[in-house]
Amino acid sequence: MAALLIAIGNVFRRDDGAARRVLELLGPLPGARTVEVMQLSPEMAEDIAAAGRVVFIDADVNPGPARLEPAGSPSASRSPLAHALHPEEALEYARRLYGFQGEAWICRVPGTDFSTGEGLSAEAETNAREAAGLIRKLFR
Amino acid sequence: MAERILINTVTRVEGHAKVSIYVDDAGEVSSAQFHVVEFRGFEKFVEGRPFHEMPGLMSRICGICPVSHVLASSKAGDRLLGVEVPPAAVKQRRLVNLAQILQSHALSFFHLSSPDLLLGFDSDPARRNIFGLIDCEADFARRGIRVRKFGQRIIELVGGRKIHPSWSTPGGVQTRMGAEARDEIAAGVPEALESVKLALDRLKSVLDSFPVEIEHLGNFPSLFLGMVSPRGEVEFYDGVIRIGDAEGNIVADGLDPLRYYTYLGEASEEWSYMKFPFYKPLGYPGGMYRVGPLARLNVAASTGTPLADRELREFKQRSRGAVCQSFHYHLARLIEMLHCVERIEELMVDRELMGKRVRARAGQNQNEGVGACEAPRGTLFHHYVVDDDGVMQKVNLLIATGQNNLAINRAVTQAAQRFVRPEAIQEGMLNRVEAAIRCFDPCLSCSTHALGQMPLEIDVRNSRGEVVNRYRRGR
Repeated sequence: MAALLIAIGNVFRRDDGAARRVLELLGPLPGARTVEVMQLSPEMAEDIAAAGRVVFIDADVNPGPARLEPAGSPSASRSPLAHALHPEEALEYARRLYGFQGEAWICRVPGTDFSTGEGLSAEAETNAREAAGLIRKLFR
Repeated sequence: MAERILINTVTRVEGHAKVSIYVDDAGEVSSAQFHVVEFRGFEKFVEGRPFHEMPGLMSRICGICPVSHVLASSKAGDRLLGVEVPPAAVKQRRLVNLAQILQSHALSFFHLSSPDLLLGFDSDPARRNIFGLIDCEADFARRGIRVRKFGQRIIELVGGRKIHPSWSTPGGVQTRMGAEARDEIAAGVPEALESVKLALDRLKSVLDSFPVEIEHLGNFPSLFLGMVSPRGEVEFYDGVIRIGDAEGNIVADGLDPLRYYTYLGEASEEWSYMKFPFYKPLGYPGGMYRVGPLARLNVAASTGTPLADRELREFKQRSRGAVCQSFHYHLARLIEMLHCVERIEELMVDRELMGKRVRARAGQNQNEGVGACEAPRGTLFHHYVVDDDGVMQKVNLLIATGQNNLAINRAVTQAAQRFVRPEAIQEGMLNRVEAAIRCFDPCLSCSTHALGQMPLEIDVRNSRGEVVNRYRRGR
């Protein structure tokens, strides 16, 4: 089954657009489809469920290097805002409604500047490159 | 000892807000305020931009109802050009507005409000969400997602993308609609219709379980304002303004939306960034009015489509005058969804929709233009003043949620007074206060793409401002 890479973020909020930069750096990956969204929504559950492997790429407000980690379960204590899902919640939709059983990863790309405007900070650019490297390894 | 209970931040609404509940020295809730704590400033920062850019810029106001802003903006631009928009473009705009109302209402009902309605206001908050609903009613939840997806797909097929489409422009739209798009939309109608009918039946089957909530979550007399067609039917794209009162009388009819400022005033309060519009003849705050699904169905004589009309007749029997219970926004929302699907089906066989001419081109012919339409949450007005070079000089946006501001505050106070016991706060009490707000489905702005945590906090403060109790939910 095909892989699905979902880049989440708003390129007009500077480092929030880091995930899209990761896709640019990656270029085409064999057997993988890419989607760019400002935010995750429940309607994506069907597409996620149809993939054998899904990688969510998202900017992160917490500092540190880029990370690629298996997706967990959504926090039970969270009050979900259905119009802006976290990756774990989008996955949960896919699992519970459409029986998703594939592999799921979250690639976090830390940034430092989420103000209004375009272009990444130097830190986010570095992290985007690291993130692209991590994802390439996953697909080798 | 006077106290203040603070709910910060309200959950399952679009945007950021908090609620303060004030407790008097006798320990009773005296009042409550719904604060909007984010500032956007769109009206200011678009000054200096060419008016042709406005639909694209206005689309960014909101990620849930961008189409309404694009349409109101385009219509204001139509006035600045002074042109008649080609019928095919009008039909495209109507189609996309219907799709947006359908998808937005689906989000409100299935994702945000159904957990309360189908799982119960006092059910475990950790499960009182869409996942809890999926566990109990997976097919219902799946249908809700697919209805919303159908609406979004229409927006994408016609407008180019699901969120922030900007295909509509002063004078019309940018592209013709293709037959493939039409056929795909037509193929999706039967399932959407079936799902909305099932949801409507499901809601009606549980309504009797909530007599206390129906009575106390925003049940009060007010004016109601909505757009109607010349025949008095529900009209989402282009009509006249009708205002009705709580007894069901028509207070004003045939009002020109382009002259909204002659009958609608805008007040402000220092404790909220959201304006407080009012009906001028009754002054502020006596001129409180409600907009949106409840108001639209209250002021319209019919919807103009058969299935929705049947539901509307039943809806109107819920009261001798207007239906004043804000709780019935949920029911009104579903009736409008039914109407939207019916109208979408009609448009699929409308030859004008596929017309070749989709844009009237002209230079600027006016310096002032107003555009109005019905957004999912109520009537929306965009008012632009430009210089002779078409550069924006002044902008006023009258947003649906803002027009419900006085009513939302009234609903919050009523719910708090009925349900909150300051000496023993329970989560279900506060959830009902939030539910009073969610009836209106307020859209405070999701396009800010909020970062960070969205907790629910309730601070109980004494008269000296000291926190004597704190309640926190979620993250």
